[in-house]
Amino acid sequence: MSKTSRRGFLGAVSALVVLPALSAASAVGESKRYAMLIDVDKCYGCMACVVACAAENNVPLGSFRTWVEHLVKPEGMRIFIPKQCNHCDDPPCVPPCPTGATYKTPDGLVLVNDELCIGCGACVKACPYGARYINPVKGVADKCTFCDHRLKAGLLPACVEACPTSARIFGPLHEVNELSKTINSRPVQVLKPHTGARPQIYYISLPDEVNR
Amino acid sequence: MMLGYYFPNEFAEPLLWHPVLFAYSLLVSGADLLILVALAYLSRSLRKAIPLMTMLGIGFFAVVMAGPLADLRSPHRAPLIFTLPHIVSTAANPGISLIAFQSIIWLVALALSIIFALLTFSYYSYQASLMHAGFRKKFYQVFSFGITTAERYGAVEKVAKVVAVLMLPFLTLWGIYPASLFIMQTWNPVWRSWVLLPIAYFADTFVVATALFMLVYFCWRYKALERDVVIPVLKIHAAGSLSLAALTGLQMAVWWFWSSSIAEMVTPLIPIMYLVVALLLLSFFLSLIAMRYPAAILAVSLVAMAGTFTNKWNIIINAQLVSKTGLAFLEAELGGLWPLETAAPIALGVAVFIFLSMLFPLEVRESGK
Repeated sequence: MSKTSRRGFLGAVSALVVLPALSAASAVGESKRYAMLIDVDKCYGCMACVVACAAENNVPLGSFRTWVEHLVKPEGMRIFIPKQCNHCDDPPCVPPCPTGATYKTPDGLVLVNDELCIGCGACVKACPYGARYINPVKGVADKCTFCDHRLKAGLLPACVEACPTSARIFGPLHEVNELSKTINSRPVQVLKPHTGARPQIYYISLPDEVNR
Repeated sequence: MMLGYYFPNEFAEPLLWHPVLFAYSLLVSGADLLILVALAYLSRSLRKAIPLMTMLGIGFFAVVMAGPLADLRSPHRAPLIFTLPHIVSTAANPGISLIAFQSIIWLVALALSIIFALLTFSYYSYQASLMHAGFRKKFYQVFSFGITTAERYGAVEKVAKVVAVLMLPFLTLWGIYPASLFIMQTWNPVWRSWVLLPIAYFADTFVVATALFMLVYFCWRYKALERDVVIPVLKIHAAGSLSLAALTGLQMAVWWFWSSSIAEMVTPLIPIMYLVVALLLLSFFLSLIAMRYPAAILAVSLVAMAGTFTNKWNIIINAQLVSKTGLAFLEAELGGLWPLETAAPIALGVAVFIFLSMLFPLEVRESGK
């Protein structure tokens, strides 16, 4: 075998081995980052999402994992704005937790481990969005989980499925899907961007009056 | 109640941290008393007051965690703060929890304070063992640690000074806690904008500490108040009262000039802040009078406590009732036996102090005696 052909053979073998390994490594490094888009123009305040969430997650009466705010403009127009935990990229609620019960998952969810939560309320105080509460039944901090249990079963969060107008769009942010296409093609807003929390719920037509 | 724009979860439980936390913040004054003890010991001043301050400080600081323990919704998991403290930042748990960090600091500060107390009381324990019999004799012999002469006690004093220096940073961290928690790790708009809160809190707990000391000292020695004990404490108290009054007034001015929306948001707290300033100024002037007429320390103490209790209630309770939107002031629903719950941790601190005062002297005449 000549030098040139031996060199070429070795290069081809290396490429066959190394390239798949590299792509596998990059695939392992990428994990899904879930996010949600809420089109305020489509929400007409039916509260189906609130009811579905409460039923799916046994939310106690008087507490809310998701809620819909009602704004009446001076000209009489009514606007409905669904809100919930924003599953922030830099969640202010995670550092204050004294036992690490509140944690971030690799796919961007901010969850609470009930077995570690002591119910001190520090995370509730730390959330700028009012999304957390102390569950009076369990005595632990509670909030929207993006229906983590449904995601594992390949289903959408209960609020997204219940919405009759598809005002809520949910999915992995960095994949090509309706969520990412809409975020990239239309102007979107987030709640309280000045907090630096980098919330992952995006809004279309979010009125300034409710961005408090 | 000023209704406006608020979040529904806030309406469900407007007051998340209950008045028992207000009592807890009073117990933090134990840390300030121990800071005064350490500084007095290192500067060889206030020698006669050190034993009383030490026991009062340890009594309160030892039970300081009873307050937040009573406020936990799952108190049976409280030991997790020490076994699984969030004091290291990871990808899943970024940041560090001030609550966990201060809990660990509390253990260290309390241990150092107890070591300091045992060292400084060692020679007294030996002398007490000579005057007692039976179990008490054995008890005092154990706590004498073999310090049977003034010369040996001189060596112990050097070690006690090192411990006093070590105590200071840990106790100082507690002096500004929970204000540091409020301003750094919550998103309450009042606390976030209360830029002077940590230093005001530090001054506040000093005022409480000196007021508490004067109250106990008056109750114990009202027939024979010693000026060399009372005057230095009054000076510290006067400085603390004036500082806190100034800081409170300055904070009101900061809010006023910062923005109209913030000024409007804190409106429900302002009248009480005026009252706090008035009470603290009154305590300051009474301190000056008491330097001439020591019997007035009772009035100094009571007025100062009224001012600082009001201040702490305003900071901890009223500020919580301002919505995270900054556009509503909610109503506190204080149900049940909240006054008893609030008083219980303080009563526990007093009980520990009384127990310690039965074992050890409240003053010394000569070094170690």
